Amino acid sequence: MALTGRDAGAVPASPPGLGTGRNSVFRRMSSFGRSHETWAWKWTGWAAAAVPLFALTFTVIVLLVKAWPSIRVNGGFFVSGSAWKPGNTYGATVYTHGVAHPLGSSYGAWPLIVGTLQTSGIAVVLALPISLGAAFALTEQLPSWLARPLAFAVEILAGIPSVIIGLWGVLTLGPYLAQHVYPIIADHVPDVPVLRYFRNPVGHGEGLATSGIVLALMIIPIITATTRDLFVQVPPLPKEGAIALGMTNSEVARRMTIPWVRSGIIGATVLGLGRALGETIAVAMVSGAALNTIAPNIYGTMGTIAAAIVTQLDSAYTDGTGFAVSALAEAALVLAAITIAANVIARLIINRTSRNGAPVGRGI
Amino acid sequence: MSMMTRDATGTRGRRMRELAFRGMTLLALVLVVGPAAWILIGVVARAVPHWQWSVLVTPTSGATGGLSQDIVGTLVLMAGVLVVAGTLGILAGVYLSELAPPTSSGRAGGRLFRSATEVLSGVPSITLGFVAYVALVVGLHWGFSLLPAVIVLSVMVIPYIAKSTETALSQVPTGYREGAEALGMSPSYSLRKIVIRSAIPGVVTGLLLALAIAGGETAPLLLTAGNTSSYPTGALLHQPIGYLTYPVWTFYNYPSDQAHYLAYDAALILVVIVMVLLVVSRVIVARTQRHAEGGRG
Amino acid sequence: MFRLTRGKWILPVVLAGTIAAACSSNSSSSTTTTTGAAAAVGAIESPPAAATTLSETGSTLLYPLWNIWAPAYQQKYPQVTINTAGTGSGTGISDASNGTVDIGSSDAYLSNSQVAARPTLLNIPLAISIQVIAYNIPGVSAHVKLSGKVLSEIYQGKITTWNDPAIASANPGLTLPSIPIVALHRSDGSGDTFIFTQYLSKQDATGWGASVSYGTTVQWPSTPGGLAENGNGGMVTGCKATPGCIAYVGISFLSQLLGDGLNYGQLLSGGGNYVLPTPTAVQAEATFFAPRTPANGTISLVNGPVADGYPIINYEYAIVDSQQQSTSTATAIRSLLQWAISPTNGNSSQYLSQVNFQPLPTTVVAQSTKQIASIK
Repeated sequence: MALTGRDAGAVPASPPGLGTGRNSVFRRMSSFGRSHETWAWKWTGWAAAAVPLFALTFTVIVLLVKAWPSIRVNGGFFVSGSAWKPGNTYGATVYTHGVAHPLGSSYGAWPLIVGTLQTSGIAVVLALPISLGAAFALTEQLPSWLARPLAFAVEILAGIPSVIIGLWGVLTLGPYLAQHVYPIIADHVPDVPVLRYFRNPVGHGEGLATSGIVLALMIIPIITATTRDLFVQVPPLPKEGAIALGMTNSEVARRMTIPWVRSGIIGATVLGLGRALGETIAVAMVSGAALNTIAPNIYGTMGTIAAAIVTQLDSAYTDGTGFAVSALAEAALVLAAITIAANVIARLIINRTSRNGAPVGRGI
Repeated sequence: MSMMTRDATGTRGRRMRELAFRGMTLLALVLVVGPAAWILIGVVARAVPHWQWSVLVTPTSGATGGLSQDIVGTLVLMAGVLVVAGTLGILAGVYLSELAPPTSSGRAGGRLFRSATEVLSGVPSITLGFVAYVALVVGLHWGFSLLPAVIVLSVMVIPYIAKSTETALSQVPTGYREGAEALGMSPSYSLRKIVIRSAIPGVVTGLLLALAIAGGETAPLLLTAGNTSSYPTGALLHQPIGYLTYPVWTFYNYPSDQAHYLAYDAALILVVIVMVLLVVSRVIVARTQRHAEGGRG
Repeated sequence: MFRLTRGKWILPVVLAGTIAAACSSNSSSSTTTTTGAAAAVGAIESPPAAATTLSETGSTLLYPLWNIWAPAYQQKYPQVTINTAGTGSGTGISDASNGTVDIGSSDAYLSNSQVAARPTLLNIPLAISIQVIAYNIPGVSAHVKLSGKVLSEIYQGKITTWNDPAIASANPGLTLPSIPIVALHRSDGSGDTFIFTQYLSKQDATGWGASVSYGTTVQWPSTPGGLAENGNGGMVTGCKATPGCIAYVGISFLSQLLGDGLNYGQLLSGGGNYVLPTPTAVQAEATFFAPRTPANGTISLVNGPVADGYPIINYEYAIVDSQQQSTSTATAIRSLLQWAISPTNGNSSQYLSQVNFQPLPTTVVAQSTKQIASIK
């Protein structure tokens, strides 16, 4: 709800000069001050809201400048090729299209793109139902003396640094899953076409499945917190009416609460998806950081774009022609393009589904 | 109504589905709270056996000693982010929620800003760190120092602060605003005294959570803050600064047990700082809600 | 939309001006310390009397040694503060090249393209580092004999079990189990990968050398169960958790890997014998290369034709720009590096033995001294 531009406390048309009462200089100064104060709020607020846009544009421009050599030389192969070849950085420098790069270097990022989409997809598929369920439990089912500390625990999960989650994933979760959970799944899944993906070998805990689970843990707090806020905003009267008519909690949830806040949930999921796509350190630690492999089954090692950037950046500097750094910059651009695409798709979904114009979830 | 029939949607089926629903939501909650507790217990279990209180007051010497300069550095970085990102994020949230003109171009502008915010939160931290390194550390010759680190961290968390501010403001009943305008208050006055004041709990929560996220970042700080064993001097440029995620990321791979202990200690201190921030935000929310009507549960 | 005033451009301009002024006013105070002619070998200049800060970053293999050197040097010259970081050889070279740090550390010498990017960059040998091949074979506590050819085939996935005839023939009398080999390699760009792949390329020139070659990061052939690990520490913990693993690890992690129950192998030298990484063997290899080391220090010490020389060793380099911005920083850098290579100070066993490094041969110390003297 935006206030109108008209200032409610406009300066009254009165002669200048000092006076008393309604025409006193102090009152005129404060009205003067007040209208300019609104203007100051708007101006600084506009500038502040523009900062993310400015930062994003600046980032894209810097990346484009840095990535230009790689775009020129690798071309379409960058998104379709499966070979991430730094070439012989200590060998000869060759020139393609006027760009200097080491002999034998060519960069194809398709396995990284697949890995990014796979891990983020698994994370969202796991996180969405769990977040919704947890939000329901916290807002509707548990007594508030229990719900408050548990909500606190969810917030803590949001605040834990990703490097600690990555360490825990490598030291504790990965081995535990590889020894106790994955073998059970792998041994009991039938040998049928789609489910074959879940069969052995199970590996040692670093791979696609563990990365997806760790990412899910990192985005669950975001979705849960937002969903909790949304559920609280749902007006109680229609819900109480439904319960009075005999609907069970699950039916109220399914038919009333969720549709009411659907666009908000989608927005929160998109925010979580953004975090999953861009998560760097934790995934670098638990994915096995393979550059050229698409995971052969769900437990296999793979790599994501963000993890590749963080593990390869140092080594890219040993390429004195700057070509390797350029390839990483192009990978970052591809990731930004994926994020923008996910954002656009989500907005389309939101616009399609929020015909009823429910006021909750506004602004998400 | 179908509830009266006794087919698959009959009473017994519905009751079972209700039970299943309750069970699954509770299971979901366990799946969230369980790993959180597991991680915390893991950090504590690794750090406590070799904990020494001297770690808090001794600076690092090579890969031994303590972590005091990293603790101070993290707190200084958080303070910088609070000032920069807090101001910008709150202003942005206020603008998007209250002051953006309701014209179609204004709404389009608001949507553009919001989309940029969402896309920005999806850019990997390493990319933002790399851009800051190229443009600020090297390009402007700032070197590894406090200012580029604060800038890149602020850019990362402004989306969270803006969004939580906007959400908090959207929950302020419109009656407040309408009453204020009816009483003749200027928009800015009612904004300051009524609307924002009512939204403080949500704003503060978002702010403190953003500080926790900023304090836990590693990759962008590796590229902008450098590392040092000396306390921050307050210099904005040309002076590297230590931070707690550095020992966690670097000393974990170090060939000495002392360094490993420091890594676990740093992880524990980070977790404690995060918990303190969250507890403080809860206290502030509880305090302000005592004065407000109908606080949320 | 409201109108922005004309003054909207003032703020960015003022900001830009402030930034420009701030960065041009870095320490340009020139002290008049006379540096004199090239210092004699072993002589150490004093750093400037005023408080100076030096920053170092780079190789994670050299990082533990810097963390031992820095406090010792600062005890002697308290006015110098040294900031160290372990970010990787490539970052060390790049940051030294663009002036973000004073000293970069690298396990690998500069490549032609890096020198072309900044011709005043020096790579100065500081110490000798060694690499071991660690493995986790349950029940086997001997030092398995491995050659570059065998390792190359393991890392190409052609040898897949420990009881393969190729390994068994080199190890008569040793029963190896038939468990699969899990080959670990570094996921991050690394000097360890650089020297390991050099060894493979030199001993298997037609196979590995022709297809994969060497570098700080290479396109690893896929091996059954092969894993990428982050850092030397990751290699050790990963190998400990995986029976049948094999991994290349820097020698500063020797006590870690022994403590974790791993063992290390004897490697086939360039001269034809299987050699353990003892100080004698390393010195033998280093002695061969010392007279062949060029004045700029750029040489690979891997696989020298020395019968009893351990084949995987390398110089650890300090990457420094010979043109420094300020004379006081240059003096401080020279002082620190001279202290580091001095056989009675940095290069003494009191420091090097903590990371199992070896000191520089005398002739190389003289060469490094000359390089250091050229830093102005």
